[in-house]
Amino acid sequence: MGMLDYVRGFKVTFERLFDERVTTEYPKEKRPKPERFHGRHVLNRHEDGMEKCIGCELCAGVCPAKCIYVRGSDNPVEDPVSPGERFGFVYEINYLRCIHCDMCVEACPTQAITESKLFEFSFTNRSDAIYTKSELVVDDEGKPRKQPWELWHEGDDLNTSGWMRATSSAGRVEYEGVVGWSGELGHGVRSPEVGQSATASSEEGA
Amino acid sequence: MSNETASEGVMVTINGMEISVQPGDLVIDAAERAGAHIPRFCYHPRMSSVGVCRQCLVDIDTGRGPGLQPSCMVPVSEGMVVDTESEGVKRVQEGILELLLINHPLDCPVCDKGGECPLQDQTLTFGPVESRFIEEKRHYEKPIAISDLVYLDRERCVLCDRCTRFAREVAGDPLIHFMQRGNQTQVLTFPDDPFNSYFSGNTVQICPVGALTAKPYRFRARPWDLSEVESTCTTCSVGCRINVQSSRGELLRYQGVDIDSVNHGWLCDKGRFGFEAVNSDERLGTPFVRSDSNPDELVGTDWNTALEAAASALKAASGSSVGVIGGARLSNENAYAWSKFARTVLSTDNVDAQLGDGLCAEMVMSLPRATIDDAATADHVLLLAPDLKEELPVLYLRLRGASQGSTKLIELAPAPTGLTRYTSAAHGYRPGEMGQALDELLGGATGDAMRSGRTVVVIGRPSLADSPGEVEAAVGVAQRLLPEATFLPALRRGNVLGALDMGLAPGVLPGRIANDGSSQAWIDTHWGSIPTERGMDTIAMLEAAASGRLHTLLLIGADPLADVPDRDLVERAFAGVAKIVAVDTFATASVKRADVVLPTTAFAESGGTTTNLEGRISTLGRMVTGPGTVRDDWTIAAELAWRLDADLGLESLPGIWAEIEAVAPSHARCSPSMLSADSEGVLVPLPVVAVPEPDEIADDDADTSEADTSEAEVDEEQAEGAAAVVEAPSVPASVSWSAPALVDPPAVDGYALRLVARRRLYDAAVHTSQASSLAALADDSTLRVHPAELGSLGVESGSRINVTTARATIVLQVTADESVPRGVASMGFNQPGISAAELIDHREPVTEIRIETR
Repeated sequence: MGMLDYVRGFKVTFERLFDERVTTEYPKEKRPKPERFHGRHVLNRHEDGMEKCIGCELCAGVCPAKCIYVRGSDNPVEDPVSPGERFGFVYEINYLRCIHCDMCVEACPTQAITESKLFEFSFTNRSDAIYTKSELVVDDEGKPRKQPWELWHEGDDLNTSGWMRATSSAGRVEYEGVVGWSGELGHGVRSPEVGQSATASSEEGA
Repeated sequence: MSNETASEGVMVTINGMEISVQPGDLVIDAAERAGAHIPRFCYHPRMSSVGVCRQCLVDIDTGRGPGLQPSCMVPVSEGMVVDTESEGVKRVQEGILELLLINHPLDCPVCDKGGECPLQDQTLTFGPVESRFIEEKRHYEKPIAISDLVYLDRERCVLCDRCTRFAREVAGDPLIHFMQRGNQTQVLTFPDDPFNSYFSGNTVQICPVGALTAKPYRFRARPWDLSEVESTCTTCSVGCRINVQSSRGELLRYQGVDIDSVNHGWLCDKGRFGFEAVNSDERLGTPFVRSDSNPDELVGTDWNTALEAAASALKAASGSSVGVIGGARLSNENAYAWSKFARTVLSTDNVDAQLGDGLCAEMVMSLPRATIDDAATADHVLLLAPDLKEELPVLYLRLRGASQGSTKLIELAPAPTGLTRYTSAAHGYRPGEMGQALDELLGGATGDAMRSGRTVVVIGRPSLADSPGEVEAAVGVAQRLLPEATFLPALRRGNVLGALDMGLAPGVLPGRIANDGSSQAWIDTHWGSIPTERGMDTIAMLEAAASGRLHTLLLIGADPLADVPDRDLVERAFAGVAKIVAVDTFATASVKRADVVLPTTAFAESGGTTTNLEGRISTLGRMVTGPGTVRDDWTIAAELAWRLDADLGLESLPGIWAEIEAVAPSHARCSPSMLSADSEGVLVPLPVVAVPEPDEIADDDADTSEADTSEAEVDEEQAEGAAAVVEAPSVPASVSWSAPALVDPPAVDGYALRLVARRRLYDAAVHTSQASSLAALADDSTLRVHPAELGSLGVESGSRINVTTARATIVLQVTADESVPRGVASMGFNQPGISAAELIDHREPVTEIRIETR
C-alpha cells in the first residue's frame, strides 16, 4: 500500500468538491416542492371575494380518514357567502387524522379546496390541529393565512397546487389530459399533463 | 314462487326467464320480482299509473312481435314476452334520460336529493355517457316556498306527476297542479293558495328529483352523513312505521316506511317534522325541585336530591291518597314499569293514562277490535269519532282511500269533519243526543244495510265538550244494533292503547285483565299482593285532590292543565294537593306547578315497543342520546321504588318485555324475535295455537284480534289444561264492560249554543309548539258559528266577543262558518291563546255557551 492509495481514497471527494452543492440549510433554506406536493389545505375564493365552497360535503364523504367535517347552510340573500343557494357553514379539517391523499381535492366540484405546499406545523394542543373555516379560507389576495404554529418563509404560500381531476367523470380514456388543473391560487388553467394512456402507450412503444 | 301462486298465476317470460305472476300485475312489478329493475320516475306502487315519464319503456311481445310499451301501464297477460335489456330498450332509456337532462340543472352538489336521487342513480346506471345538448338550460326562480314546509325548485322538476297525483289521489288536497303547456309546463300552486296540506311532506319523499325539498331538512345533511334506524311514530296512535335518521347525534329527518297494514309509506307533516321537538333547546335536561326559599321557583338540582324529594313526597302519601296520571306517551315497557310501580310500591289503583279526554278503558279493551285494514276493506265504516284528519291523519288517508273504492263511510258528528266530503252519508246530531241519533240512524234502512255487510265502527270523542258517557251509551247502541260489527278506537295519544294494555287504568291489570279479585292468584305469582279495590280515574283523582283527599300526584308525561277538559277542576286539584311530582320532557304548564321535576328521554332516545290503535305492537328505535342527564322512565320508576324500600325487579328493556310476555295474558308468546322480524309488527293477542282438541280451536276466530276475549271460553280452555299457557294459576278473564243505558238528552236552552271542542292537528301542545317549523302552523284560534246564528245575535264575523258558560267568561274572536250547524259553536280544544277547557265543566253532559258582544 503506497501513498498513492491514500490519495486515491479521496478521489470521489475531490471529484465532487467542485460540483453543485445539494445540502440545503433547512429550515433556513428550502428546496422547491414538486408540482403535485400535498400540503395543508386552503379554501379558495373567487376573484370577487366570494367563497368557492358550497358546503356540498363531497370532500367529507370521500375522505378515507374521515378528518373533514362540513355542514351547509342557506346562503343569506343580502350578504351571500358563496354564489348559489348553499354555502359551507362549518368547515373543519383535523390534521391529526389527515393523510394528505388529495381525494377531497379531486371530489370538489367547485375547486374550492386545494392543497398548498405548506406542511411544517407543530401543534401544542389538539384543538390547534383542527383547522376551522377561518383558518382555511384564503385571504383577500388568495393566499393561505399563516397560523402561529406554522413555519413559512417568504414565498412559500405562492403555490397552492390547484385543482386536478385524474380522469373524466365517466372514466373514459379519451378524456384524459383534456381537463387540466387549475392554476396556482386556484385561478386560471394549467396545461394538461400527459395522461396515463399516453404514458402507457409510450412505454409499450419502448 | 310457491306452487300455490303458480297454479293460479299467469306465465310470462321476462328476459328469457319464465315466471308465474298474479293476473293484473303490472309488467314493471313482475319484472322487479324476476330480478329485472326497470328504471322509472312517475310510477309509484301506491298511486295510479299514468305513464308520463316514459322511462320504463320495455320491449313487450304479446304475439305480434316486440314493441316498446310503458311497463307501468301494461298488465301481464298469458304468454307475454318481456325484454328489459334489448338494444332498443337501452337506446330509449338513454334517450329519455338525455332529454330529461336537457333542462335539469347539474346542481347536485347543493341539492338535498343529491346522493339519494333516482335521477342521479338511473342516469349513472341507464343513462348516456354524455349529452349532445350544449345549449343554456331553462331557468326559473330558484326555490319558491309553496307552503310553510316545502320548497319547490321548478328547474329540477322532471314532470313525473308524482306530487300532483299524491295531492289529488291520496291526500285529497289538490293544491299543486301542472300549469302552462309544452316546454313551459311546470308544477305550481294556485296564486293565492299555498300547498297547505297536512301531508305535504310526502311529496318531498316521493319526488324522484330534488324539485321538492323540506324546509326543516334543507341543507342540514347529505344522505351519506345519515345513520338510520327503523322505528314507529308515536305522535298519534296510528303507529306509522318510519325511518329515523340522524347525523352527529342530532335527529334530522323521518322518512315513511311502506308497510301494508298501516301507513303505506305515508306520514302526516306533524309526525314527519316532529323531530324538531325532540331536538328543542327547551327540553328538560336536569331534575328540578321547588326552592325552599322561594316557593315560586324551581331550581335545578342533581338526581339524588330530586329522587329523594320525589320519594319522600310519595312516602308521605298512602295508597288511597296518591294518584298517578299519564303514561300514554311512553313505550310499553315504560308504561309497564309505572303500572307495576303504582300497584306494588305505591299500593294504589289510582292510575290513569287518559286525561278525561278518552274513552272508558274497559270498553276499549272488551269491544271486538278491528284493524285499520278491516276498516279500509269493510262494506261500511261508521264514524262515531273526532275529526280523524286532525287527530289521526294517516287513518284519515286510509279511510279516504277506502271511500274511493267500495267502502261506504257513514258519519255521525256534531259538526262536519275532514272526512265528511268523502262519506256516503253524513248525519249531524245536537251535542248530547248522540245515542238517540245513532239509535234512529241504525234503526232505519242505513242500519239494515250495515247489518247485511261487514261493518267497522270507529269510536272516539267527537267533542271534548260533551261527557264521555254519551259516547259510551252510543257504543252500546251500536253494539246492540250492529251485533257483528268490530270497533276501532280512535284515541289520540301515541301509545294510549299500549298504556291501557299495561294496566295504566283503574281496575285494569296488564294484559287486559280486570283487577277485581278474580285475577288475584295470577297477579300474586308475578307481582305479589296488590290492592284489588278499584281506584279512581283521572277526573275522580282530580276531584279527590280538589277536596283535599289526595296528598301526592305523580304526573307521567301528562299535562292536565292543557288536556283535561275542565281547567277549573285541574286548578283546584293542583291547589288542593300537597305535592306534585312530574316526570316529563318539557316544562309544560303542569310541570311548572310541580314540586319535583324529573327529566326523561323522548322519542328516538330510548328503545322498546309501542302499541297502536289496532293493538299492533311494533318496535321503537333508539337513535340519539337525550339532553343533559335525562333517564328512561323505567329507570326512574326502579330508582324511586328502591328509595321506597322496594324492588321492581326490572333491569333492562328486553327484560321488561320478557316480564310483560309472562304477566300480560294478551301479550303472551309475543316474542322479541317476532317483533323484530317484521316491520308490520305483531297484532295482540295472538290467535290461540294450543291444539289439544280440534273442536276447541273452532271457537277462536283467528281473524279478529280479540280472539280470546270471550271470558267464559278462555276460562274453560284453561280449566281443561290448554297447553299454550305456561303458569299454574289459570289465566284470568279479560275485562268486561256493559254499556250504560241511554239517558234522556239535556233540555235545549234556546238562548245558548252547544259547544263542539275538537283537537286540531297543530295545536298549542308541546309537540307542535316546540317544533319550530310547525309552531307557526297552529292557528284558528277562533269560535266558528253559523252566520245565521251570528245574524240573530247581531254579532259580526271577525269581532271579539264574550263567551260565557257557568264556569267562565272568555274573550274569543268569532268567525262565521256555514259548515257549522245551527245551534252549535265549534272551536279548537287547545289552540294558541285559547283553551276550550276553561269553558267546560266535566259534570255537565254538554257545554252550553252564550255569546255576547263586548
